[in-house]
Amino acid sequence: MDDSRDLLERRLSREDLLRLAAATGGAGLLAGHAGFAQAARAQLEAEKGRLQVLDWAGYGNDGGQAMFAQYVKKYPKNKPQFTYMTNEADALAKIHAGLKPDLFRPYVGWTKYFATSGLVQPWDPKLISNFKHLNPFMVKAGQYNGKQYGIPDDWGFDAILYRSDKVKPKAKSWGLLFDERYKGKIAWFDDIEMFEIAGLYLGFKDPWNQTDAQLKQSQKLLISKKHLVRTNWSSETDLWQLFGSGEVWIAYAWPNDWVQMKKKGLKVVYMHPKEKPIAWVGMLMLLKGTPRYRLAHAYADAWSSAKSAKWLEDNYGYGHANTLARPSSSDLLRALQLTNPRAVTEPNAHLDRDIPRRALYAKMWEQVKAS
Amino acid sequence: MALEGEAGTPPVRLPRRGRARPDVTTPTLLGLPVAWLVVFFVVPIAIVAAYSFDVYSLFPGKHGFTLAAWREFVHSSVYLALFWKSAKMSLIVSAVVVALAYPLAYYLALSGTKRKYVLLLLLIAPFLTSYLLRVLAWKVILGNQGVLNTFLFWTGVRSRDHPLSQLLYSRFAVMLVLAYVWLPFVALPIFVSLDGLDRRLLEAASDLGASRWQAFRRVTLPLSVPGVAAAFLFVFIPTLGEFITPSLVGGASGYMYGNQIVDLFGTGFPDWETGSVLAIFLLGVVTVLTAVFARLLQVRQVTAD
Repeated sequence: MDDSRDLLERRLSREDLLRLAAATGGAGLLAGHAGFAQAARAQLEAEKGRLQVLDWAGYGNDGGQAMFAQYVKKYPKNKPQFTYMTNEADALAKIHAGLKPDLFRPYVGWTKYFATSGLVQPWDPKLISNFKHLNPFMVKAGQYNGKQYGIPDDWGFDAILYRSDKVKPKAKSWGLLFDERYKGKIAWFDDIEMFEIAGLYLGFKDPWNQTDAQLKQSQKLLISKKHLVRTNWSSETDLWQLFGSGEVWIAYAWPNDWVQMKKKGLKVVYMHPKEKPIAWVGMLMLLKGTPRYRLAHAYADAWSSAKSAKWLEDNYGYGHANTLARPSSSDLLRALQLTNPRAVTEPNAHLDRDIPRRALYAKMWEQVKAS
Repeated sequence: MALEGEAGTPPVRLPRRGRARPDVTTPTLLGLPVAWLVVFFVVPIAIVAAYSFDVYSLFPGKHGFTLAAWREFVHSSVYLALFWKSAKMSLIVSAVVVALAYPLAYYLALSGTKRKYVLLLLLIAPFLTSYLLRVLAWKVILGNQGVLNTFLFWTGVRSRDHPLSQLLYSRFAVMLVLAYVWLPFVALPIFVSLDGLDRRLLEAASDLGASRWQAFRRVTLPLSVPGVAAAFLFVFIPTLGEFITPSLVGGASGYMYGNQIVDLFGTGFPDWETGSVLAIFLLGVVTVLTAVFARLLQVRQVTAD
């Protein structure tokens, strides 16, 4: 009996299943919601194997699996199996090199790139019950040509963290990262975002799409100020160690870094620069041709739940796109401005966006580091 | 029956029994290692080289042989300057480590101590712990609140508000940690070279009236030069492409050529073409250097000694 069922499932292609779903859906119109749900469940059961997730280290194994507990509970036979990415470039290289995850998580600035790359397909928001609770500005940022390519989840700001007992800023500006008075006490972020920050500081109209002359000007600024930099951080724990031990007093940082340093008893300020902070949003993306289409949706749904969101805020200190979630820490609530759903966008912040000439930005940033 | 012919007559050859067996020993013994080298060394390098000429590419689409990335590399002052900076750092590390390791190896090899192998084991004992752990330990020592700075605060040489911050996240930190990590590797070949020294030569020098210093300068040192050179190369080659140590303790100023290769492959936006150019250039330099050293110092003779 079991054998024959397995055989039947193996013989059903995805198209067959969709046809079956359509037929079942039609029947569902007659039989009501219960019938439709049953058909959807049948489809889910037909998807086999462990869900392949390409994600950032830390999002894969959180001990209690709190961020996707709802998914694991429902689909114990299809638990997620993780491969880790160190950044979007790494993910891109892995996928091109043949890795076949069902879903992965680039950040909002890469939405257009991946949507037009032919590597991903849009989500069906109807299959994500928590979708309606997600921040509409972030949801829009996950769209391309009206289709939902990214499901927003974790988010935060890029701004400046500094020790108020050691540093007296001349102005509330990104310029604090280039302040000659604090030579050797500054940490930049190891990312092409430093070009966006340089562009904002230099007053360019569109730092994400700088002209050749502007790029050269940004690069010149970064190279001329590089001697002030103690190190370029790439992992938050490194930043906490640097800040906590007094190695640096000023850093490009995220809201949670401010919370963590406050917890350590340091006198720290999370500055909102006059050029505005940059907001980043993690976007779950669905790989084209995934054999676990519905399981991937179920996973994204679990990640989008208010319960997962609160857990993420309380334990990782990031914001979450689910607007129902509130962290236990009032400091974090304030730093993320969670009571204001528009906080991630103008006029409060620049929501990170596509960089049309990303490869050139990257090359020029590498040259800054090598100089 | 005479086996060797007398003058004017050819030597008598003994008849062979049956047909000669083909010699399969050498191909059998060498086959696996050679195949291994080809599959896991030559082929990957050829692939990297193909990437550097855009024959292969990470991204789909039209690609064909081009020297664009090589041209950019040659004309870019940034990459070559970084290579020169890394080469200088590696040269300094190698020279300092050899200078430090030589007396150590000399003592172990020539002092006549019975415990020389025990001492040698102690020398390499740190290698029983993780490389990462050893490098990270230096952060604890060199940091602003680290062991050295705490000592300076205690002695009053520096105030707590003005720690010696150049100790960490600097070129100095990278060179110091690299020197520490590679010291045993350098001491070993020098030790082997000195341990195999014919002591009768030293006795002869002494008999001929040479002082200990003269005997060292004219006998020991020249005979140990090949070992020293091998040790120098042992450090110089890997440190030239090093990226773990500078990424942990180098900060912005201790950034090396190896870090650039890693970053080009996987940070910002994957640029495997340029990354491959840098990697192949490094490989080329190392190969040339090794060949030059081997030729100048006749390494074969050293190993034979």
